[in-house]
This record gives sequence, structure tokens and C-alpha cells, in this order.
Amino acid sequence: MKNLIMFWARECPHCKHMMPLVDRLENEEGITFEKLEIWHNEENADLMRSYRDIIAPKCGGQLRTPTFLNKETKDALCGEVEYETLKEWASK
Amino acid sequence: MKKYWRCFVCNDIHYGVKPPEQCPTCMAMNAYVEISSEEAKKITNPTGIKFDREKFLSAIEEFVEKNEFQVNPDKERVKMLLEGLFNNEQNHGLKYCPCRLITKDFTEDLKLVCPCNFLIHETYQDKEDGECWCGLFVKRR
Repeated sequence: MKNLIMFWARECPHCKHMMPLVDRLENEEGITFEKLEIWHNEENADLMRSYRDIIAPKCGGQLRTPTFLNKETKDALCGEVEYETLKEWASK
Repeated sequence: MKKYWRCFVCNDIHYGVKPPEQCPTCMAMNAYVEISSEEAKKITNPTGIKFDREKFLSAIEEFVEKNEFQVNPDKERVKMLLEGLFNNEQNHGLKYCPCRLITKDFTEDLKLVCPCNFLIHETYQDKEDGECWCGLFVKRR
């Protein structure tokens, strides 16, 4: 079962920027993200909203994209970050 | 609580807690009377103005003119964001920020309508290269 989710949006430039870094992380480290688009898929949007209590405090009080969520540790990371930051966060 | 107000001289519509003392359109003084939202909608809709992406872009270009921020000079980024804004308006009712998600609390979600009040956001405040969360607006450089 995957524990890591990347909530992203089709027309979000931050998500476009982060997607190759996520792909690289998956290829190099074998870490897999469940990638869920949230503006064109209501089920994914509802899922993101259901994690609002975890996401919002880490994302300026809002539901922002991209958001990386670890379902197991209940930790979130959002926005554009460096590859190493994402790698360190995902490896926890 | 915000209400709708109509200028009895020129039918200018104001939405706010209080009416303006002077109508900004016809300059009449103490001219506003409270009206219902239904009446306001009938008076203002349809306006006959086609508000497409080009029109929206020219509206925000005009909006930034006298402000300390500008529309992002990165045209590809702007194009992508406008695509998202108009898709959101079509699919979800308003031009919600393409880089955030609505909560389904309408009042709360009004804070996500573009342009949002990004001046209070940590991505903009006290930053030389501050920008709104999605990057449509950036501090003038």
C-alpha cells in the first residue's frame, strides 16, 4: 500500500515544476507517490479536503498544490522545493 | 454583513457593508439605496461584455498599473494560469486559484478567487521577490 500522495493540479505551474523531480525520486530511490489531480477529479479533491487538518498547518493555512502527504506519519510538504528537500522528506 | 446598494441616479451597483457617500460613476451624493441580491443580479446581468481570457488579462493589467506588483512577465506561466482560472470558472463557478483547492465553504472559498488578497500571504509579504501563491502576480522589479 502506498503511503505517499502527491496532490497536484493540471494548470498549476508549481506542480509542473515538481513533477520531473518526483519522477527522478521515484526512478532513483524507488519511492512511489500516488499522484492525484484535484481540480478535474472530484474524488481526489474530496480526499485532499479530508486531510485538511494535516495539510493546512503546513501550507499557509490552505489547501495548496502541490502537496506531498505522508499518510503514515501524517506529515505534509507543499510547494516548490529542492530535489534534496523532497528526497529527505520522502525518506522519513 | 455586505449588502447590495443601487445608485438611484445612474443604477450603479455597490456591494459592501455601507454605500459610498458619493457615487463613483455619476458623482451624485447620498444616492444609494439598499436592494436585494436578485435585483442587483438583474441590473448587472447581462452586461453584454464578453469576459474572455484576453479581457481578463487586460483587466488585471489595468488593476496592477497603480500597484507595487505586476502581472508575471513569464507569458507561458500566465497562459497556463489563465487556462486554470477559466476551467475553474466553468467547472466550479468562479475563477478560483488553480494552485489551491476550495474547501466547499463558500465564504472561505471567496478568498481563493483571483485576484486574491495575496498581499497578506507569506509568499508575498516582506519578500523582495514576493509573489502570490500561483505566481500570476509578482512584486514589481
